[in-house]
Amino acid sequence: MNAVRRGIRNAFRNAMRSVGVVVILAVAIALSISMLIARDAVTTKIDTVRASTGNTITVSPKGFFGFQGGGTPLTTTQINGLLNLSNVTAVQESLSEQLKSTQTSLTSPTPVGQLGQQFGGFGGSSSSTGSLGSGSSATTTAFSIPIRVIGTNSPGNAVEGGANGGGTEKLTSGSAFSPTSKADVAIVGGTLATKNTLKVGSTFSAWGTKITVVGIFNAGSTFTDSNVLMPLATVQKLASATNQVTSATVVVNNINNVAGVDKAITKKLGSVADVTSTQATVEAQLAPLNSVKTISTYTLVGSVIGAAIILLLSMLMIVRERRREVGVLKALGAPNRSIITQFISESTTFTIMGAIVGFIAGIAVSSPITSALVSASGGSASSASTSGFVRHLGGSGGFTGGSSGFTPPTGATPGAGAFRFGGLHNTVTQLHTSAGWSTLGFAFIAAIVIAALGSTVAAATIVRIRPAEVLRSE
Amino acid sequence: MLKVENLDKTFHTGAGDVHAVQNVTFNANDGEVVAIIGASGSGKSTLLSLLGLLDAPDRGSIEIDGNQLANLDAAGRTKYRSTQVGFVFQQFNLIPNLSAKENVKLALEFAHWPKEDREARAEAMLEMVGLDAGKADRRPAKLSGGEQQRVAIARAFAAQPQLILADEPTGSLDKSTGQKIISLLREAASQQKATVLVVTHDEKISQQADRRLEIEDGVLKEIA
Ligand SMILES: Nc1ncnc2c1ncn2[C@@H]1O[C@H](COP(=O)(O)OP(=O)(O)OP(=O)(O)O)[C@@H](O)[C@H]1O
Ligand SMILES: [Mg+2]
Repeated sequence: MNAVRRGIRNAFRNAMRSVGVVVILAVAIALSISMLIARDAVTTKIDTVRASTGNTITVSPKGFFGFQGGGTPLTTTQINGLLNLSNVTAVQESLSEQLKSTQTSLTSPTPVGQLGQQFGGFGGSSSSTGSLGSGSSATTTAFSIPIRVIGTNSPGNAVEGGANGGGTEKLTSGSAFSPTSKADVAIVGGTLATKNTLKVGSTFSAWGTKITVVGIFNAGSTFTDSNVLMPLATVQKLASATNQVTSATVVVNNINNVAGVDKAITKKLGSVADVTSTQATVEAQLAPLNSVKTISTYTLVGSVIGAAIILLLSMLMIVRERRREVGVLKALGAPNRSIITQFISESTTFTIMGAIVGFIAGIAVSSPITSALVSASGGSASSASTSGFVRHLGGSGGFTGGSSGFTPPTGATPGAGAFRFGGLHNTVTQLHTSAGWSTLGFAFIAAIVIAALGSTVAAATIVRIRPAEVLRSE
Repeated sequence: MLKVENLDKTFHTGAGDVHAVQNVTFNANDGEVVAIIGASGSGKSTLLSLLGLLDAPDRGSIEIDGNQLANLDAAGRTKYRSTQVGFVFQQFNLIPNLSAKENVKLALEFAHWPKEDREARAEAMLEMVGLDAGKADRRPAKLSGGEQQRVAIARAFAAQPQLILADEPTGSLDKSTGQKIISLLREAASQQKATVLVVTHDEKISQQADRRLEIEDGVLKEIA
């Protein structure tokens, strides 16, 4: 029997103590595993949020409020200058205009309703404010809400963000116009198209000009789907807004450069524009999640250190208790190396048992802990807590605990023994797949580090024990 | 053949220096059993620890079959302890979670005996000391004191050492068991051709030795 086997056997010598040591180690390891998983979930969520919103900056005229307009429009010249700033990859410009019912053959799909009644009444009683009313033939029933026309140089992602652009729309038929187009063409929202029975190839009039429909889009909201998208140059010409831009979206090459570009734009445009990066808003929202990340990192490190200290003290206690035995081994001619190997093997046995129990427990408690941490910190990232850990063992068994528990494997799976997260989002799922393995790797490395630390002090004590002590009666 | 010359060991304690072993010189032949007697604190255990290379002497030489041992390095002392010397203690000092046989095999492992021979050698040694074959797989706690000391003697002789150092081997046993242990040591010494040094308080025990040495305040002299 070699030193390693003696060590493993010694780990079971005192059952009560072994159970105690393993349980304490398991708690520490479970804590660190769950912190690691919490950290992964939160990190993934932060990255997802950042990636989806991060690298754009919105520039609008000072005092401009969405589709209501306001402020002095910016000029194409000013906006084009932004392309020269470093780290800027694209500038999407848009001009938001209103087509009054007198200026177009189109009818707004938005019901007049109470809002319209009020505005209609308002418009009718005072034709000088006719921008909202129906002008000279002001009667309540003839009133119709104006249609919003957005001139853009980036069809494809112009509508969702409202007047600020930056959103995405899906073409359901036809095709988009080119960014530099000057043609009298339009892509119309699905709701508006239905209301006016427009198809690709249909025409309508706007500002006295015949406009051809080249595409129909759907952005998923009745409000945006009531809009008309036209080339920027065309709207500037027809609406007599030459060189005007009501909003621009500056695309930055990297999330990390957003702050710098934000400053540069502010400096360049001065007081005529409001410069807002979505990142700033998002970062503020992410602050609680970031603090969860920090807490979990510290807890993670803390619990690994804690486990190491526990094991170290236990091993120290065990070595002291077996001081005489160590002396006997030395007297029998055991080299220090062999005795140290024996104790390392003993502490490694404790650690491996603690790691196995702790790993399973850690996964079981990680979801509740993640939810608790995220909700306690006021974070809005509820999806971070819905990442249940799916464990495929290739057999039956397992249990479901709602969104926060295990999902039982449905029979044998090819990836037996693989760990996989089931999350709400596909991207999250994918990210978590690797997190499962790295978590396992972490548990393994942490266990080795803990065992090594725990054994070092024991080893130092072993070396210092004088074999002559065995001849002294206690 | 053991040759000890001018061995000195002084402990420096807070209460002053203790000259535990002073200028000790003696010889012992192979197969010889030598009793060492002396009052408590006279230096008997210290002398054994020097001879067993558990501790280093301040001065002097220890020779076994012409090999000088007093100035070996740590690795050399470890090797000597595993192959050339066997200890028998008053408290038996068997490893509690190993069986009798495993305790004997442990000594063979440290002495680097060929793996395949260890089992047979351990069984032969247990048979030599008279342990019932049925008790070879018992742990020490399930053996009587006398049986434990037999196992300890089997362990001490297992790797065929030149020198056996027994510190009060009968101190924890009753008189008749003690007698049996001493005769066992005598038989083993002549059978294995090893020198056996037995430290004892017991007159009767010491009289069974081939020779008797007395130590007083670290100074050793032969008793005629
Ligand atoms: N490690 C040590 N440090 C300091 N003093 C020691 C040490 N070992 C032994 N001594 C002292 O050396 C002297 C001899 O001790 P030793 O143990 O050799 O006596 P002994 O003859 O074996 O006694 P006993 O019959 O009681 O076992 C004693 O005075 C003891 O206190
Ligand atoms: Mg003594």
